[in-house]
Amino acid sequence: MNALTLSFTLNGNDVSLEISPNTLLVDLLRDKLRLTGTKVGCREGECGACTVLLDGTPVNSCILPAAKVQGKSLTTIEGLAQKNGQLTEIQEAFMHEGAAQCGFCTPGMIMNSTALLENNPQPNEQEIRQALSGTLCRCTGYRKIVQAVATAGEMKKSQG
Amino acid sequence: MALTFKDLHWAKNIQVQQYLQPGTLEEALEILANFGGRARVIAGGTDVVPQLRRRNIEVEALVDVTGIPGLDGIDQDGENIALGGLVTHAQVASSDLIRKKALLLSEGAGSVGSPQIRNIATVAGNLISGQPAADTSIPLLALDATVTIAGRDGERKVPLTEFFLDKGKTVLDCTREILIRIQFKGLIENEGGCYLRLAKRKALTLPMLVLAAVVNADLGKGIINRAAIALGPVAPVPYRAANVEGFLKGAPISDETFAAAANMGMQECTPRDSCLRGSCDYRQEMSKVFIKRGLSRAIAQIGS
Amino acid sequence: MQDTTEGKRKVQVHTKEKPDLDQLLGEPEKKLAVAGHSITRTDDPGKVTGKLMYGADYPQEGFLHGKILRSPHPHALIKSVDIEKAIELPGVAAVLTGKDVPGRNGFGAILPDQPVICEDKVRYVGDGVALVAAETEEIAHEALSLIRVEYEVLPAVFDPRDALEPDAPKVHEGGNLLSDNKLRKGNVEKGFREADIIMERTYQVPFLEHAYLEPDVTLAVPQRDGTMLVEGPMQAPFTVRRNLAAVLGVPVNRVRVRQIHMGGGFGGKEDSPIDIGCRAAVLANHTGQPVRIALEREEVTLQTCKRHPMIMEVKIGARKDGKLLAFEGVIYDEQGAYAGLGPVIPPAGGSHIHSMVMMPGPYEIPHAKVDAYLCYTNHPYGGAMRGFGAPQVHIAHEQMIDELAGELGLDPFEVRHINAFRLGSATATGQVLDQSVGLLDTLEACAEAFRWKERFGKNEYLNAESSKRRGIGMGMGWYRTSIGTAGDGCGANVYVHEDGSVLLYSGITEMGQGAFTVLPQICAEELGVAMEDVRLVQPDTDQVPESGPTVGSRSTTLMGNAIIMAVRQVKTSILEMASDMLRVPVERLEAKNRLIYDREKPHKSLAFKEVAARCMAMGKRLIGQGWWTPPAASLDPETGQGSPYFVYTYSTHMAEVLVDVETGEVEVTDYVAAFDVGKAINPKALEGQIEGGVAMGLGYALMEEVAMVDGIPQNLNLQDYLIPTTLDMPDVKPIVLEVENKLGPYGAKGIGEMPNIPATPAILNAISDACGGRVRSLPADPERVFMAIREAGGPPER
Repeated sequence: MNALTLSFTLNGNDVSLEISPNTLLVDLLRDKLRLTGTKVGCREGECGACTVLLDGTPVNSCILPAAKVQGKSLTTIEGLAQKNGQLTEIQEAFMHEGAAQCGFCTPGMIMNSTALLENNPQPNEQEIRQALSGTLCRCTGYRKIVQAVATAGEMKKSQG
Repeated sequence: MALTFKDLHWAKNIQVQQYLQPGTLEEALEILANFGGRARVIAGGTDVVPQLRRRNIEVEALVDVTGIPGLDGIDQDGENIALGGLVTHAQVASSDLIRKKALLLSEGAGSVGSPQIRNIATVAGNLISGQPAADTSIPLLALDATVTIAGRDGERKVPLTEFFLDKGKTVLDCTREILIRIQFKGLIENEGGCYLRLAKRKALTLPMLVLAAVVNADLGKGIINRAAIALGPVAPVPYRAANVEGFLKGAPISDETFAAAANMGMQECTPRDSCLRGSCDYRQEMSKVFIKRGLSRAIAQIGS
Repeated sequence: MQDTTEGKRKVQVHTKEKPDLDQLLGEPEKKLAVAGHSITRTDDPGKVTGKLMYGADYPQEGFLHGKILRSPHPHALIKSVDIEKAIELPGVAAVLTGKDVPGRNGFGAILPDQPVICEDKVRYVGDGVALVAAETEEIAHEALSLIRVEYEVLPAVFDPRDALEPDAPKVHEGGNLLSDNKLRKGNVEKGFREADIIMERTYQVPFLEHAYLEPDVTLAVPQRDGTMLVEGPMQAPFTVRRNLAAVLGVPVNRVRVRQIHMGGGFGGKEDSPIDIGCRAAVLANHTGQPVRIALEREEVTLQTCKRHPMIMEVKIGARKDGKLLAFEGVIYDEQGAYAGLGPVIPPAGGSHIHSMVMMPGPYEIPHAKVDAYLCYTNHPYGGAMRGFGAPQVHIAHEQMIDELAGELGLDPFEVRHINAFRLGSATATGQVLDQSVGLLDTLEACAEAFRWKERFGKNEYLNAESSKRRGIGMGMGWYRTSIGTAGDGCGANVYVHEDGSVLLYSGITEMGQGAFTVLPQICAEELGVAMEDVRLVQPDTDQVPESGPTVGSRSTTLMGNAIIMAVRQVKTSILEMASDMLRVPVERLEAKNRLIYDREKPHKSLAFKEVAARCMAMGKRLIGQGWWTPPAASLDPETGQGSPYFVYTYSTHMAEVLVDVETGEVEVTDYVAAFDVGKAINPKALEGQIEGGVAMGLGYALMEEVAMVDGIPQNLNLQDYLIPTTLDMPDVKPIVLEVENKLGPYGAKGIGEMPNIPATPAILNAISDACGGRVRSLPADPERVFMAIREAGGPPER
């Protein structure tokens, strides 16, 4: 196997490392970099628990060859909170609304929501549901998750 | 049907010895040639990676073509629209141009998988999957699209009607060739289109039936000039309902026409019994419903 | 769909307390400070930052990777197992067959009839035939592929009715009838004779998969002192422990089991951790090294337990005003290859007998007869799945009630209202419901919020051109709190420290239902401290007392009561000491908000931690232990008469659907669900349970099924096993009513399973109302709805 040298930005930091060519992004994050916030639910791109942001765009990391992040910027759930520990609006809103039950889909939901709010700061219910349609949840029935995204939008707006 | 080892035991990883990221088309084609069939193209990877994990396909190397410049644009030249080989489903779904000129394709592209999948999966990849109900294959077939395939020997253009060979198989050899362009004519003034999808839930699911229709009609005279109807899975490949199209040429715009076309279409379609996605009986009945709906909605779209 | 971005929705909780005079005089009016409030979950910060560790997140260094070789046949003899090539593969630490199991080669939540490693035969596709441990997953996978097994295929049986035939292939030596149970109340012949109308129907439901987002994983670590530690996501640490002990051939106290936060359970992780836990432990024991088994999604679906499929035959007799006179039911309950959670644990434990008890529904029926057969087949085995046999029978009786209403030309609301349980009603087992019966309250509250009367009978097409037609439907339900076994007990320990901080020991597990928040709430409330003062210790069988499994909607009630008992022991010390310090009689003291104060002169107070420090200094006991058991369950084995579960939660759901009568597609467009929960300890968490439960019920109604062909499951991954997405779910409006359970903490009873139960029939009834077609064999996917419309003679007239 020919090793690859991968250089990319991870949660705002420059990273350079060697990987084997068959490495999938989710395993690079979880096994090698010990960033276990991104979850594995299906390994088929079917459940969205593994969602990360590649140049700000949500993708399923479980079916993405790690080599594809070459030269790009990657954000995971661990990269959202500020250095001082302050959480983002969507993270606060999730807690306030009770939008997490078992929490396994939560990182995926939050990453997708983060990307949505970046492009559409006050989405309506249909837009929220559409943006989250690629992330499955078995616990919540989605209602409080949708509410949390709306709440986060309101929070961002009131902060100006 | 006896179960094999890989039906019962799943791997976490994929088995690939090399992952190459060429910077030009020529480089990519050369690498493929050098591997002599042991490497294949990967674009978004949303089809290829799960297939590798399931051990349905085996390769020594993957040649990632997403670094090749100039293939990710949507271009317009008069009525002609061209999608680069790396254009994603998300791009097509949100493109103002395509929503205006070929809404059926935007809707088809917007129905694939999920937002995360659509963000990196390419329309070219959807065609190459060779699935009989692929959500962009069907509209593109109704739009009489042509694809341009690049190989070591140069480029060749293949009409989509000749592109699909069998379920999962197309004329493109993914170990030697790269699909670089998809071209079609946008809808013109007296044309309307429609895309319909039948599935068991509203996202992240393969369809039971997909239909796309393009109808060219003279509303004043109340006559259908021409219709293109593509649907699947009613055959091993995405299907153009040729008999129905022949019947519709010059037919009056009326419920009777639609009903007759639908009945005729149902006879033409031979879907399999699918354990998970509908019996033959049901899918034939739905072909009838969809042909009727597809025609009437496409005509309703004319002029809007 | 209603846009909910405007305005904030408040949690609406309607309290209907039936005050007990004795209680009032004994205990002055309490206003709750911690319990009853929507406190943010204690584990939320970890969830939203990705810091919370699930089983698969723990470091894998030092672990061998274990894998299971599975049978490709639903029923076959094992002639030989050749492991030679597998053993030789570099990096392989062990390849084990049946003879290598040190103790009992059998595990199971109730009966240990499933081999850890099959020796003589296999009974379902996916049955374990060999185990491998290797340095990497890749090597383990390859080693599996090198094992050669020779099978002699046997005829298989796939239908419980076929399994009962005398010449059916025998899945187990003792025959295929695992349990045969009867319910006899009154005289159904008499009831049918008196009836104005008699109807018979058959309903059928398929295999369902839990589809928790987190695939199963287990870590087995041999300890230096020779004991074995097994940890992972699991709902029943004690059940896992007793199985491990037997399989390893060691006493129970030489095994330690620790729960890791689950990414969903829904009953599936009651027994799947026994399966992979025993297998990992056998490998760890053999190699002397830690072993990790992590299942891929497809393997979870293939190998682990399912919801029992059933065929239910129902015959009811009623008067023409809708009053039910007689109910006769036959249940063919498919257990699958192994006993799982089906068999009877006397008197009323196990899913099968529970199904039998629940079969006639929450209705007063003078004459009832149920025959329930639990049958082995060569299919995946039935375990617990949210409702434990109740969802299936609700699909039967709730549809039957609607079909009856239809025949009689009555509003299904009226038929239910006439027959529904009320305080003092007797169930089909003869149990008199003497407290906490809010069923009619839920029916009326739901109907009011949904505007049932206004909407009933008004179904119509969306417009003149549309093929979509509206319909509404309802479902009522009841569900027990507790598991109905003789040994349904729960223990808790509470330790208060010198600074007022508290450790809470409970074996109840967290799978997202909020136990790790609700239980500390109860503890803090009863002790009079703040939520932050209580730390719940991770459930570890070496540390926490026996608690039973986290199932049966029992956790809040049983463990809540145990915690209150434990706290009261400590509180005795605290109040006695405070009485001494304040010179106020104990009876006048109140503990609340970190203060102990004189009720009559509230300014006379002490800080809780001050009192605790003094207790510690003076050697006064600050350790509390509680053990709570429900009132004894009873159920006569011959007649099914008795009081199997001590209290029930009640619910009514109403749904509106749009059915495309040309394609059979169904969209759920409006939904209200009302519950009588006794007391909502954490209203927001409870709402979440309701909303999520409805989603699961909607999935059962419209899209979920593990399709089996010749014993082979056809849809193993989440692409093909369909659960609702954001676009499939309506906005669900929950209504929470509180009709106090006198035997529950602050009046609470269970809620975990109830929400998904009436949802399925409510939607099925709505579909029938919309299109005239009734789907009696689930799921009601577009094709089945289309066929039902066809059978009904075509779509309704415009």
